[in-house]
Amino acid sequence: MHEPSVGALTVNRTPAVDDAADVALAQSGDGHAFERLYRGHVARVHSLARRMAGPDEADELTQDTFVRVWEKLGTFRGEAAFGTWLHRLAVNLILSRRSRMGRDRQRFDDADGALDLRPTAPARPELAIDFETAIARLPEGAKHVFVLHDVEGYRHDEIAGQMGIAVGTSKAQLHRARMLLRGHLEPKAKERGRR
Amino acid sequence: MTPDQWTARLSEYLDGELDGAERQALDAHLDKCADCRDTLAELKRVTLRATALSDREPAADLWPGIAARIGLPAATAARVSRLAPRRWSFTLPQLAAAALLLAAVGAGGFWALQQSLTPTPVARTQPETAPPEGLARLASRRDEVDDVYDRAVADLERVLAENRSRLDTATVRVLEESLRTIDRALARARTALAQDPSDSYLNAHLAETMRRKLDLLRRAAALATASS
Repeated sequence: MHEPSVGALTVNRTPAVDDAADVALAQSGDGHAFERLYRGHVARVHSLARRMAGPDEADELTQDTFVRVWEKLGTFRGEAAFGTWLHRLAVNLILSRRSRMGRDRQRFDDADGALDLRPTAPARPELAIDFETAIARLPEGAKHVFVLHDVEGYRHDEIAGQMGIAVGTSKAQLHRARMLLRGHLEPKAKERGRR
Repeated sequence: MTPDQWTARLSEYLDGELDGAERQALDAHLDKCADCRDTLAELKRVTLRATALSDREPAADLWPGIAARIGLPAATAARVSRLAPRRWSFTLPQLAAAALLLAAVGAGGFWALQQSLTPTPVARTQPETAPPEGLARLASRRDEVDDVYDRAVADLERVLAENRSRLDTATVRVLEESLRTIDRALARARTALAQDPSDSYLNAHLAETMRRKLDLLRRAAALATASS
């Protein structure tokens, strides 16, 4: 029976529960189920790839991630949510690809001044460059730590493990990123920093 | 500690990563340093902006390329993109029933997976009167799944029956015919599985058919609710 005091609720389908069925089907070779998983998660994976590696590489990294997921689906045992497992796989793939391309080491030690985060437009908030663009202009190491910690919610020990750096380095890079972005978000802050 | 050294600790302060003594010392510094208070507020704004970022789909559909690389037909893309938006309107009883049903389907899929991994020659060499322990355990699990599934479907069907008058006659006719078709498919799959419980194709087919029934009931319930 309906409960009269409870009206209709508009809810999102619960992704984790939906995923469980589709993962099981995909593990048994169901391509439709895997496509549903792809469509449910592609925005997050693509956004992660775009922020970590840039728009030029985001499509390829996203495709590579889902191909890798398909190949490794048999190893997924459900200890974590599928989305969590998929996301970690994506992070590892993106980081290993970037590392192999030799860009991390080259840019990790860039001085803050090497990248100009000052808005190109007059220092008025409504004319400031997009926050995503500001993130993209961060030095590589600081950008990766910022995206993983502040956007994706990873802890420093997890980031350190995935990036092969010390926890202290992760914290320092995060602070560096935030300080650079704060200068972009709030022009007054940068002016004060120069006084 | 110099002002720069205090500033360098503000992110850790913001993230709650300083120990008690360090935090107390920085609290004391913040009480008297307006610049650090301003910087702290700005860093907080940055973190809030970061958590508020929204994800975006890629500009182009990447599925065809992925499907080609893993050996799947890309033609499924159009079918999936025509599905209804992933938002549904439910009353609480409907929500509870849907959750149970989804759990059942999930377990059905798990059953299908387990069955696909069960070495069938071993199962088939056992006497029928003494099934292997693993198979018996899975059969018991299957009974539990069926029980939950049947109760959940009954709940959702009852909710639908209560709202049936809100649907037009043609819709009800199509709905009933579709449900009968799915029920026949379910019955055939279960009959076949009774003969060969370890058949991975039949198990996957059963799980998919259960999902189809879920989708149909869910869409019908949403439609009826939306018509109220």
